[in-house]
Amino acid sequence: MNGLQLSQLTLRAGKRVLIQDLTLTFAPGELWCIAGPNGAGKTTLIAAMAGVSKAASHAISLDGRALTAWGASELARRRALMPQATHDAFSATVLGTVMLNRFPHLTGWGWETDADRAAAHAALDTLGLADFASRDVLSLSGGERQRVALAATLCQDAPLLLLDEPLAHLDLHHQIDCLEALSRWVRSKQRSVIFSCHDLNLARRFATHALLLDGAGHAHAGPVRDVLTPERAGAAFGYPLTLIQQDGHEALVPVMRQRQP
Amino acid sequence: MNAQRAFMVWTVLGLAALVVFVASLALGSIAVSPLRVMQALASRSTDVIDEIVLSLRLPRALGGFAAGALLGMAGALLQVLLRNPLAEPYVLGVSGGAAAFALAAMLFSFSWWSVDVAAFTGAFLSILLVLGLARRELWRGEPQDTSPRLLLTGAVIAAGWGALITLMLAVAPENRLRGMVFWLTGDLNGVAMPWTALIALVIALVAIVPVAPQLNVLLRGDVAAEALGVRVVQLRLRVYLVASLAAAAAVTTAGTIGFIGLVVPHVLRLAFGNDQRMLLPASALAGGLAVMGADLIARTVIAPAQLPVGVITALIGVPVFLWMLLRRAR
Repeated sequence: MNGLQLSQLTLRAGKRVLIQDLTLTFAPGELWCIAGPNGAGKTTLIAAMAGVSKAASHAISLDGRALTAWGASELARRRALMPQATHDAFSATVLGTVMLNRFPHLTGWGWETDADRAAAHAALDTLGLADFASRDVLSLSGGERQRVALAATLCQDAPLLLLDEPLAHLDLHHQIDCLEALSRWVRSKQRSVIFSCHDLNLARRFATHALLLDGAGHAHAGPVRDVLTPERAGAAFGYPLTLIQQDGHEALVPVMRQRQP
Repeated sequence: MNAQRAFMVWTVLGLAALVVFVASLALGSIAVSPLRVMQALASRSTDVIDEIVLSLRLPRALGGFAAGALLGMAGALLQVLLRNPLAEPYVLGVSGGAAAFALAAMLFSFSWWSVDVAAFTGAFLSILLVLGLARRELWRGEPQDTSPRLLLTGAVIAAGWGALITLMLAVAPENRLRGMVFWLTGDLNGVAMPWTALIALVIALVAIVPVAPQLNVLLRGDVAAEALGVRVVQLRLRVYLVASLAAAAAVTTAGTIGFIGLVVPHVLRLAFGNDQRMLLPASALAGGLAVMGADLIARTVIAPAQLPVGVITALIGVPVFLWMLLRRAR
């Protein structure tokens, strides 16, 4: 049983139920988008699926084994997590920062080998960051920092990526570049990506599947075009949406509010 | 950074420390040739020169090295634990507790060894206090980026100790005041053979150098580190205990020598990068080198009078640190 399975997963924030009895399988080869309003539990769910918040780990299994049964380092070679924000307090090169994600692969005294360095360079290349290798992370813009964090996650070389808002702070061009890189990455070796995202149109175009949370315990999951429909997304976000079509392109747009007289 | 470069850094710092060590044994009110120093170290004869080198200068040089090494390492560790470049060994109140108890012992004129015992007791109490108050951050719960709370807890406790220290200085009789101020600034005068500090240094290195790769990852944040397979909660507790006990041992040996724990790791970072695998042993070597060198200056610059070593480290540390801070802002 390959992939990540949730079985009757319930997540709470305080007394509020974010997700109720969710049973779902994320199979290899799939690119999942998690969408939902602010505070709906996207970050909580991603942290739980990564095994970082232990409370929910018994309801989540990876390759048929409960997350609680995985060793920390073998789990880190199987799945990678990109947190929503990383804060750099000290100067470091981009290459050095990306290479930190080789930690689960280090052996002996814990020094990187040439293979680790090559993996870091390859990850930077994938996201068009080859020229950034020797830049100081403190000098990067928000979007550049985000791409470096994504490169670090790729460099971890885990077949399952859990990305918390990887497109935040990116301009449109880089959002598309990153999503294309992730699509190629998923297809090339039957790997899988689960990412949270606020741009429903990019999700509809690049994701294969979507999980829509409404923040009240309800969730819809399935192929992206069955889930991110105007009706369902409009209900989850609490604002009416409509699907417009032109030249074979589609876009979900908010319905104009009735002006108050 | 790779293993070869790290070895080069350590070798250079180690050789420099050795040179300052020999100079510390050779220089002073009676200058002795380095060759004679070697003889004194090798032989067990007991003429006046041997006595000066072995009984006065050797414990003092080793005490300076051990205290400086412990402070350098504690500073580097707390900067990682708190993810804050301004962190230093005293920021969480360890030195405040040590100073408050040491000054109390001096105030009630206990013997010199009980001042040391009191200092360590105070440091240990302060460590326990922070452990208790910041238990959620240090040894319970799930990994989350909560360092600001730990920092605030420690800083408030340090401020509380500071008030007690000021109170004791205010009520202390004139004849004890000088000794108390010297202790507060950091002073190596009359240090006995610093076995406690040397043993603490070895224990701290053994406890922390093997987890240096984990510390590199911890700098990325608790959640990121946990996802990379680091047991964050255990690691944070280990770092806190090693750093605090190192600071406690240093303060007990030499008083609250300032600026070493703050400046030494930063100078090394600027020169060689922020790789903890290199930085932790290098901070120990460079911290030891710096305090030994500062003490050499403190007891020779206006000889035969002696300055507290903490004055020299602060006088050199302040401009160095300001220069680095302003350079980085540009």
